[in-house]
Formats: sequence, structure tokens, C-alpha cells
Amino acid sequence: MSTGLKVKIKSWNGVGFWKWMTNDTDCGICRLPFDGCCPDCRIPGDDCPIVSGQCRHQFHMHCILKWLQTQQMKQQCPMCRRDWQFSD
Amino acid sequence: MASSSKVTPAVDDNTPGEIGATSASIKEEIKWDPFQSPDWDLEKPTSDAIVRMKRDLHLVFSDPLPGIFIAPESDDITRLHALITGPFDTPYEGGFFHFMLRFPPSYPFHPPRVKFMTTGSGTVRFNPNLYRNGKVCLSILGTWPGPQWAPAQNLSSVLMSIQSLMNEKPFHNEPGFHKERLGWEVKSYNDIIRHETLRVAVCDVLERKSYPIELMEVVKLSFMQFYEYYSSTIKKYAPELDDTSMNDPFGINKGTFNFKKLSQRIEKLQLALSSSSL
Repeated sequence: MSTGLKVKIKSWNGVGFWKWMTNDTDCGICRLPFDGCCPDCRIPGDDCPIVSGQCRHQFHMHCILKWLQTQQMKQQCPMCRRDWQFSD
Repeated sequence: MASSSKVTPAVDDNTPGEIGATSASIKEEIKWDPFQSPDWDLEKPTSDAIVRMKRDLHLVFSDPLPGIFIAPESDDITRLHALITGPFDTPYEGGFFHFMLRFPPSYPFHPPRVKFMTTGSGTVRFNPNLYRNGKVCLSILGTWPGPQWAPAQNLSSVLMSIQSLMNEKPFHNEPGFHKERLGWEVKSYNDIIRHETLRVAVCDVLERKSYPIELMEVVKLSFMQFYEYYSSTIKKYAPELDDTSMNDPFGINKGTFNFKKLSQRIEKLQLALSSSSL
């Protein structure tokens, strides 16, 4: 359909919105929402990523790294206790 | 504890006479006592730890667990008192059991330390996993073999695990004692726990008012609700057991059953509470 009207765009502002694709709303370690960041970070985003294990449990990367550092013997998922392996 | 299999690393060190405190258990001492944690005094809790502690406390208040009450210390978020009432249909029913907990500065990456406070001043072993010196043997606390602490645990799950120790047949909590060997142990142990619950975890608690004030309020209210249970229990067991000696299959709890005396104490407490002079 054509109205014959002509519109000229002089300028525009783009607004983006992003969300982590997660199975759960909160990190099982710090219990803070994935849409925020871990307690050590201030700005959500690429600097405070979410990672998955092969068991499909997800955590703030900073949280799971801190946990794995305290485990010398066996590194297990905090949720299901399976051996922790980062998912690709 | 320990038992015939001698596999458990936990040692009841303050009470060398405890079952199986054998020479086999010279393992590295596990720190468990929240009152003796100099290793934690040096370190301030991280701000992450404090955020997580607050969340855990908030969860207990917003999503209360049946029979579990907490009272955080007002000037120190890392310390709190917990009251667990003895679950229904167990020999612990109607009892008021007090625990002191302390969160580590690195919470939730390490488990809290817990001390059981309702021990009749170190004289009553209420459960194979609850020592007279206050040690709580639980794998997630790192004081027992089995699934260890993980940061997905929280205050609620710790308290629920402790509550689950107080079950219908605590005799079987002792490793290697999944079956009765002589046929009388479960009943005999339950009889002792039931009597000591009324004596130490009911009468002593209300007479001495030794629990934090917020928890005492819960104790007083619950006492009135349990009063019928106390009376019927005493009526039921006094004729059979009074003036006989306690026969603890583990040889730890000693004494003579005296439900008649407990009856007098409970009547007195009930009167005092009804006229709210307590």
C-alpha cells in the first residue's frame, strides 16, 4: 500500500537489551541473580560471565573459580557433586 | 562413635570414654567448635561472605522451616543461635535443642561450625552424632565421612540436616549399627532419649532460661502446646521404667529413670507459665 507520503529520518537512537541464557535465575554459589553479577563485580556483562559445567549447572565464572581453588583433592559441581568439567 | 568398623575419622576428644575413641583415630584434628576458632578471629569476613550470610538468614526468616528457629547475634552477623524442636513421633518430641553456629570469613566456600549446647553440661549424649562435648557429626560440616560441604548448601540445609539426625530410631545413626544385634537396643536407647529429652531439653531449659531471649519466647509457647504430650508420655512410661537403670547400648548415658520427678517439674512449670510468672 502506498500513501505517497515521504519520510526522511534525520537521526535515531538504538536501544539494545540482552539477557544471559540460563537454566536458573540465581547463581547457586553467591545466590545473586545471573542478570546481575557476582559479588566482586559491579557491572554485569562480559567481564563477569556465566559458565556451564558438563553437568549443565551454571555459575558466575568468578564464583565457580573461587570454589574450585578451595578444592585440592576433587573438583566437584557444588550442586550435583559430579566431577566439574567446563562445558565447551 | 567410630564403632566396630573403625572407619570414622571424627574423635570425641573432650570425652575419651566415648564409644570407639580408639587409638586408630589419631587423624588430624578437625576444627569444629565455633567458640574455639582462633583461625577465624584473625580474618575479617569478606563483603561477599556477608552478603551471602544475610541472604541465608533472610531465607530462614522468609521461608521458615517447621520446628526450626534462629536468633542471630545483634552485633555479629557471623554468629547465631538456633533452636530445633524435637520432631513428632521421635523420642526427641517436645524437646528444645539449642545450637550455636558461626559462619567462616570465607563463607560459603567453607562450612559453618556448629556446637550443640543442650548436653546437660556435657553429661548427655542425645544421639550417636551429637556428642556430649557439643560436636555435631555431619558430613556437610566436615565432621563425618560422606558428602562434604559444597557452596550450594546454606543455613537452611545445614539446620535441616541437623534436624534429620533426630529421627525415630537414633540407635541406627551409629555406623555399623544398621541392625539391632541383641533385639533390645532400639527401644532401650529410645527410652533413654525420651526421658533425657524431658529432663534436659524441656525441664532444665525452662527452669534455667539458658537460651537467648527470642528463643525462650518460642520455648514457652511451644511448652504449652506440648504439655498434653508431656503428661501422656510420663503416664505411659513411668510404670514400666521408673526406678530402673538406664541401659544405654553404647554405654554412655547413665542414670535411673524417674518420670515421677519429671512430672512434678513439668506440672510446676505449667502452673508458672499459665500464670505467666516465668
